[in-house]
Order: sequence, then structure tokens, then C-alpha cells
Amino acid sequence: MTALLSRFGTALAGFLVLLFFGAFAENFASPGNLSLILKDTAFLAVLAIGFTLALATAELDLSIADVASLAAVVTGALIQGGTMPALAVLAGLATGLGAGLVNGFAVTVLGVPSLIATLGTAAVARGFGFMITQGVAFVGRWPREFTGLARGSLLGVSNMIWWMAAIGLLAWVLLKRTRTGLHMLATGEADEAARLAGIRTRRMKRLGLALAGLLAGVTAVLLAASLSSAAPNMAGDHFLYAIAAVLLGMTMIEPGRPNIPGTLLAAFMLKALGNGLVLLGAPYYAQDIALGVIITGSVALSSTVMRRAAFTKRLNLRAAA
Amino acid sequence: MLRRDLLGASAAMMAMAAGPAAAQAPFELAVIGFQMSSETHARAANAAAAAARAKGWNVTLLNSEGSLPKHAEQFDALVQRKPGGIVVCMGKPTEADAQFAAAAKAGIPVITIMSGSSPHTLFDVVVNEYQVGAQAALWLLGRMNYRGALLTVRFEGNAATRIRGKVLDVVLSENQAVTVLGRHAMARTASWQEDVRAGMQALLLRNRGRYGGIWASFDGQAYVVDDLLQAQGAKKGEVSIISVDGGKETYRRIADPESTLMATVAIPFEEMGQRATAAMESIAVRKQPAASVTAGPYLLLEAELVDQSNVARYLTP
Repeated sequence: MTALLSRFGTALAGFLVLLFFGAFAENFASPGNLSLILKDTAFLAVLAIGFTLALATAELDLSIADVASLAAVVTGALIQGGTMPALAVLAGLATGLGAGLVNGFAVTVLGVPSLIATLGTAAVARGFGFMITQGVAFVGRWPREFTGLARGSLLGVSNMIWWMAAIGLLAWVLLKRTRTGLHMLATGEADEAARLAGIRTRRMKRLGLALAGLLAGVTAVLLAASLSSAAPNMAGDHFLYAIAAVLLGMTMIEPGRPNIPGTLLAAFMLKALGNGLVLLGAPYYAQDIALGVIITGSVALSSTVMRRAAFTKRLNLRAAA
Repeated sequence: MLRRDLLGASAAMMAMAAGPAAAQAPFELAVIGFQMSSETHARAANAAAAAARAKGWNVTLLNSEGSLPKHAEQFDALVQRKPGGIVVCMGKPTEADAQFAAAAKAGIPVITIMSGSSPHTLFDVVVNEYQVGAQAALWLLGRMNYRGALLTVRFEGNAATRIRGKVLDVVLSENQAVTVLGRHAMARTASWQEDVRAGMQALLLRNRGRYGGIWASFDGQAYVVDDLLQAQGAKKGEVSIISVDGGKETYRRIADPESTLMATVAIPFEEMGQRATAAMESIAVRKQPAASVTAGPYLLLEAELVDQSNVARYLTP
């Protein structure tokens, strides 16, 4: 029971909050609204999965949101200029991947700590975003081939949800079912030990950061397609939420480790909380307070259970000795 | 104040939770402020919300925190909640077109404030920003007798401030005896005051005694410049400073003999919120046609130039 609570305590707390919303917030549990929450979760989840992959190699990517904004601007500028949607999408993805590769180079070759390197990349990306747009968002009636990436649906399910599911699954398979993924996790858990065991840790870190950049590009393309617009700060507010989703995710499923299912669940919880509070009619400042209290409370519940479990384990070991 | 707000928020949440039990629910108005940390957004949104509460309506006040995706998500959620009407302050109807269209499709009337027109909204409550820009530019050049040099503090990241800057450029192009000695373009950061302080401090020191006027794109920038000039020992009237927005602090400074701020163009943000709520009552509650409020896509309000000649009227509580 304790083991279960330590793995799923945060999720359970989140589930209880969702039950509350289901009971008291009209339309919260309606299929339409749940689908809406899942759709809104997609942007945050894809960005947070990127952060998770970087963190799996013990590197922080603080540039994801600004890189996503820049990639959206690049994509939007090309779409607005009449470029083929496929090329614009590729340019957006390349922007994200390029930023990720630069981060990887700065961290593994130049030896700059990822905290600093990615902050620098974030500032550069923000600057380029404003340089390209001059502060004015690209907006227009963009081609359906492009907007359909986010606004379309397949089998009655929004494409956004499919993208999230596919990327989540691929990332999970990479981390848990491939040798590369296991090497990434080993690098993140014990860099030096992994290196001595023959794992190319620097390559793993470069991969983690490159994937974080690439997924920032994916988020950008989906955001621009969904909103038919691109602004130089459009992904900015996802930054803290993405970090919150990853950290919250680390309190469940595999406590203490960055993990994809935890990140996805946490992203959904965060979005569901925001949606539920709007449906309850809570004023915006009450939403911020409630969000903070619920996040801290959920994590506190999980960590208390984990501490108790560790204490009990120690006692059992002593008794056995 | 904070305690009252928190109590109000708690009461609102409890009332919402008990909502289905209410016999006849009052009209519900949702108010979205695009960025409530911006004073002007908050003034319009709070005024709309206060006017609605005074009518006994239920009010949901939301903050998009300056984020376009969050703006769109809040709209999506509101379409699920189906309030009687939505007032959006400084929103993005063009960028979030699909969400505004969904609200219109769901039959929710939407009135925007200073957001631009949209086929999915009833109308936009607005002042003519081109006129505002012209008022500010002509006042400043008039004070300088249409000659000399000036410094400008710009902000290109916002449509209204950008328009004011462009109008200033047009006015200057027709008055070539006035030159721009220095220009600081404010960065779009959370610490913009520091950015303006650093940029303008350098400009003021470099050009000391060579400029007769300073143009700021909004009042917050003018406060920073005013504080810098006061620290340098400048006296009121030595340099003509004008900006745009209006508000208690601005009027206090215009009246204050120690302050160097001379004038502003007062945009009636509170009146905009109140008029939006009143219009919502006419259209959504009394079921009058939108054309009875305004004929076009805009409900135009007047912005007044406030300087020492008329500031006393604005200082009365």
C-alpha cells in the first residue's frame, strides 16, 4: 500500500481534485471538456517531454520556451510569406533542433554548465524572435494543410491528442526500451560510473538536449498551427509549467526520476486544474493560489509517503540484521 | 483590501460550487484581462467586473498573463462554461480567431476593449489611438514652438504604443525644425522599468541641455524619466514631457511642482470597462440589438489631453 502511495500519491491527489471539479464544476466531466483539456495539454506535454529527456541525462534546458517561440516565429514568417507548409514546418523543427544542438555543443564541448548555456540560448532566441517580428505577431488565414496539423481530427479525436500520444509513446520507448535510452538514464543517474562503464555520456547529453530542442520545435509548429499566428513570446508562459510538469511527474510512477508517464500525467493535471478553476468561476488570483497549494500539497503527500516508506525499510533491515 | 479580495474570492468559489442549487441564477459575465499585471489592462477589466457586480451579476475575472495560448485556452473553457457574456480587455481576437468564433457559435456575446475588431464580436470599445498620438505629438511640438530637439522613449511591442510612435514620426516629418536627438526603444521584459531607467539615463546624460522635450509612449515610461530628471535637479517646465494613459499617479505628478511630467492623454480605461458592461446589459439582458449601442464595429470614446490647465478636474476624488 505504501509503495503504491509513493508511486501514485500525487496522481491520487490530482484525481481527488478532478473528482471535486467533476462534482461541482458544471460541464467539467463532459466528453467535450475532457477532450478540450487533453488538447490543451498537448502543447505543454510535448514541451515537457523534451525537458524530461534532457533532464534524464542530468542536463537542464531552460531555453525550451524561448526556442519554441522563435521556431513558431520562423514557421509563421514562412507560412505568411507563402512558403509551402511542409517547408515551413521543417524550418520550425530545424530551428528547434538547431538550438538543441547548439546547447549540446556548448555543454559537452565547451564545458559550459547547461543552466548557463541554455539561459544564453534563451536570450538569443528571444532576441531573434523580436528581430524577425519587430514585436508584431504574424497572423492570417493560413493554409489548411498547415492549420490542420493541430486543428484537424482523426477518428473523432483531435490531432493534438494524437501528436501528444505518439510523441509520449516514442519518448517512453526510447527511454525504457532501447539501449540508447538506458544509456541516457545511466548518464543522468551516475555520469562518472556510466562513463567508466563505457557509455558515451557526452553523446547522450548532446542527444538529450537536441531532442529537447526538437520537441520545442514540434510544440512551436503545433502552437502556430493551432492559433494561426506566431508571436515572439507565444510559448513563454509554458516554461514554468513545463518544469512544474516534469518535477511533479518525478513524484509519481518512478519517484525521484524523470519519467515520461509521470510528465504526461502531471501536464494533464496542471491543465485540468486550470480548466476546472475557470469552470468553477474562480477569479484569476484565486486560481494562482489554488494551483500553487494543490501542486505543493500533492508533492508533499507523495514525499511524506516516500519518507515513511524509506524509514520503514530501514527499520525492517535493522530487524533482519 | 487583500483580505477582502481573498474573502470575496473564497465566497465566489463557494457560491459557484453551490451554483446548481440557486433558484434563478443571476446573469453571469466573464471578464478576461489579457495581462492583469499591466495597469491599464487591470483598470479596464476591474472596472468592467465592478460594474457587473454592482448590478448583482456573477463575475468570473480571468487573467491571460500576456500569453496567447492561455488566452485561447481560457476562451475554450468559457465556451464550456457558457456565461451570459464575455468582456475581453486588450485581447487578441485576430490571433485567437478560432476561439472567438467558437464563442460566437455558442451564442455567447463578446464585447472587446482596445482589442481591435473581429467578425465574431459585437464591437470594440476603443479610443482612436491615431488621434491620441496626434494629440500628444502636437502638444509637445507646440510647447517647443515647433523647433529644437527631443528625446523619445518608444515601445514597439504593443499595438497602441507603436501607433502613437508612428503618428509622432508623421508629425515630425511635417515639422522638420524639430529633430530627434535620441531614442530609446524599450525591450519587452518583465523588468522594463530597469530597461527604461538604464537607457534613458544614458540618453539624458549624453544630451544634457540639448533637448527641449521628451515624448514617452506610455505613462510608466514617463515616471522613470521624471524620476531621473528630478534626481538631476531639473525643474518643472524646463523640459516638456508628455506621455499617454492617465491615472491617479500621472495626475498627481502633473500637478506636483517638483515633478517634471507636464501632460498626458488620458484614456478612459475605467469608463471603457463600465461602458462594456452597460452595453452587455442592453444587448444580452434586455435583448436590444447591438446597433442600439453603436452602429459600427467600434464604440469610440474620447481621450482628453490633461495638463496643468485642467488637471485639477482629474484630481478630485
